[in-house]
Amino acid sequence: MIKLEHVHKTFANKPAVTDVSFEVLPGTLLVLLGTSGSGKTTTLRMINRLIEPSSGQITVNGKLIQDQSAEDLRRGIGYVLQNNGLFPHYTVAENIAVVPRLLQWDEARIRERTVTLMKKLHLPPEEYSEVYPAQLSGGQQQRVGLARALAADPPVLLMDEPFGALDPVTRASVRKEFMALDELENKTIIMVTHDVQEAFEMGTRIGLMDEGRLQQTGAPEELLFAPANNFVANFFRDQRLSLELKTLTLNDIKPYLPPAAGSDNYQPHVLPGTTSCWDALEQTMHTEGVLSVDFRTEVFTMDSRSLMTALQVYKQTAANGSTTKSF
Amino acid sequence: MEAQQSLFDFIQQQSGKLLEQTLQHIGLTFISLLIAVLIGVPLGILITRKKVLAGPILGLAGILQTIPSIALLGFMIPLLGIGAQPAIVALFLYALLPIIRNTYTGIKEVDPTVTDAAIGMGMSRRQLLYKIQLPLAMPVMLAGIRTATVINVGVATLAAYIAAGGLGEFIFGGIALNNTNMILAGAIPAALLAILFDGLLSLLQRMQLRKARKAVYALPVAIILLSSFYLLPSAYGTKLVAGFTPEFMGRKDGNLGLKKVYGLNIRTVVISDMIMYKAAYEKKLDVISGSSTDGRVKAFDLVVLADDKHIFPPYYAAPIVRNATLEKYPELTPALNKLSGTINDSIMTELNYRVDYLKQDPARVAKDFLVAKKLWLPARNGTKGTIRIGSKIFGDGYILANMYKMLIDGYTDLQAVTKTGLGGTKICFDALLNNQIDMYPEYSGTGLLVILAAGQQTVDSLIADRQKVYDYVSNAFMQRYQVRWLPPIGFNNTYALMMRRQQAAALHIKSISELKEYLTVKGKE
Repeated sequence: MIKLEHVHKTFANKPAVTDVSFEVLPGTLLVLLGTSGSGKTTTLRMINRLIEPSSGQITVNGKLIQDQSAEDLRRGIGYVLQNNGLFPHYTVAENIAVVPRLLQWDEARIRERTVTLMKKLHLPPEEYSEVYPAQLSGGQQQRVGLARALAADPPVLLMDEPFGALDPVTRASVRKEFMALDELENKTIIMVTHDVQEAFEMGTRIGLMDEGRLQQTGAPEELLFAPANNFVANFFRDQRLSLELKTLTLNDIKPYLPPAAGSDNYQPHVLPGTTSCWDALEQTMHTEGVLSVDFRTEVFTMDSRSLMTALQVYKQTAANGSTTKSF
Repeated sequence: MEAQQSLFDFIQQQSGKLLEQTLQHIGLTFISLLIAVLIGVPLGILITRKKVLAGPILGLAGILQTIPSIALLGFMIPLLGIGAQPAIVALFLYALLPIIRNTYTGIKEVDPTVTDAAIGMGMSRRQLLYKIQLPLAMPVMLAGIRTATVINVGVATLAAYIAAGGLGEFIFGGIALNNTNMILAGAIPAALLAILFDGLLSLLQRMQLRKARKAVYALPVAIILLSSFYLLPSAYGTKLVAGFTPEFMGRKDGNLGLKKVYGLNIRTVVISDMIMYKAAYEKKLDVISGSSTDGRVKAFDLVVLADDKHIFPPYYAAPIVRNATLEKYPELTPALNKLSGTINDSIMTELNYRVDYLKQDPARVAKDFLVAKKLWLPARNGTKGTIRIGSKIFGDGYILANMYKMLIDGYTDLQAVTKTGLGGTKICFDALLNNQIDMYPEYSGTGLLVILAAGQQTVDSLIADRQKVYDYVSNAFMQRYQVRWLPPIGFNNTYALMMRRQQAAALHIKSISELKEYLTVKGKE
């Protein structure tokens, strides 16, 4: 759906992006993760031609991006910015309708689409249509920004730190809302962030960038348990345990549970196997360290200690390159 | 209270003129503003895109802004002459900087995230400009237009100096005539206009963005409408155009007399006497209110029209001397009288021409003249006493004072010193009365009207006869001030209407009556 091949960008002889190649499959979300100045935003902005690459090829939907006018390309790509970039002199409804107007939809269709989106994003139209962005809270503004990007139902979405300007609490709730949105199903998305937790929570795949280079692209577990180089390994060091716990589900570690773990101490609240280890541990706080898990084939009861032991074994096995999970 | 009452009277009397001037003033302000917006806004947009041009263009507009307005108008005269064109261009140049700068700043200050979003949404450059940048820059741009408008209302008063009309006519006329009511009749409406337009534009600026959209469309229409005001007063008029100084406009022995006594009805513009002669020479004006012995009459080949109904009082120059000095040094009178009757109008014009226009030293011009008339004798360097000669700051005075010094030095054993540049009539005469100077050249008309401030009846009975005026002031000065008028030098430095020699000859106009005749018969077509 989106494909970059050997893309380079230099600004005044200083390389900003060096030899970046990746492909984002339809309906998946790639997170470009990195610190400030790592080249992730530059990479993103080359895709909708806000920045022209110095060399290399970018195709969106199988078409080279240079082969169409920049305006047409951009109208087919949803774009969400960090500071929302809403037009202060447009009402909420007008902001959302920007791209459909550029595409010259008829007014009835625009109105219908705007109302639909506002409802889905919990902005009741009767209350918010005629309101200006300055009158909205930060979270509401970001939702309008998202609605605007989705208005013309583009197959591709580019998001530059979409939750970056929000406080941590709002951020978590807007993110959750975002992930639950049916509008995003089947969309191909590239999202830039410097927030590791966010990257792991949202990314189908993560591309970790540093100094203009893509250090590793892969599923979150891949980056955690099979880092391509020291940079990748060190990058997650501070949050490693919590990331591991959040990334792995009980299903993932099931093969490594010590056999003695099973007991008859069933809990009334049974967790599904798709629960992350993090959430499972959280659950043990209320159950004196005991968990019942439904692994489909059997309901298994274990304690927090055996969970941690299984995780340890999983990591050792992964490091030897022979886990059962295929990345 | 009385002053207010008479201001009100003045405004009532002059309401037609006041309305005309106000319309012209509004017109001048908004024509130039319109041009400044039409040129300044695109330039401001251009320099947001071509950043290398931003420095030079803003710098140039800034320099234009620093030129004193009267000087800028002066620069315009050689390029565009006088009248509306140079005034509009000068006002336009003044209005340019705030408009360019605020357009530039306004667009620059649009949140980059917003423009980034607009481009990212797929807007073209044109859409970006019209949908995003201009609407968001509008309050700042309006602030620029507002500044420019207020500047223009103020500077437009100076347009009266170059015959472009406006409320400056009353203001400068009032200053020249020391007529406070006239100054206020011009200054108060000018101030009110500035406040009014400032208020209206600030209202527009503060309006809600949505409503402002409509108002902003109405703005150009309003500006064009207001611009057209300028054309209203000049839609009627005569074939010939007269340029009168602000002072002449308001004097009984000036334009008012021309209307009353001659019934002269000519399209009149107000103009500074600094540029009036040249404007007549350059055919921007046909008739001007000059001073009959001014050197520029010769320099620009103008001809004085005869005042056949005697509305201009005689201004014959003669030395006036403290009687005490004359009695103390009897030899002084014959020495001073040597000059009597030797200088007629055209000689004085010639002498002034050499000083004012050819920039020759007044002492040299004085000596050349005396030598040519065989009146010059080498200085005796006498030590009998000192005679202090004063003069006003005008050309006539310098030359005459120098001549008198040479005559006293050559014909008597007295030593003469000159104290030239004593400002106007009041300063010279006070110096004489207070024994700071012994003598200075004065004009009979000035003696009658300014120093003696004779009543209207007296003036009316005397004014047509030069001899009667001279006799009257001569007697009155002796009785009242112990100051003696010696015999006149010969020339009459009075107001005069003048035209280009060629045109006057072609139209067969030699007197003011003939000018009136010409205008009545052929002027109104």
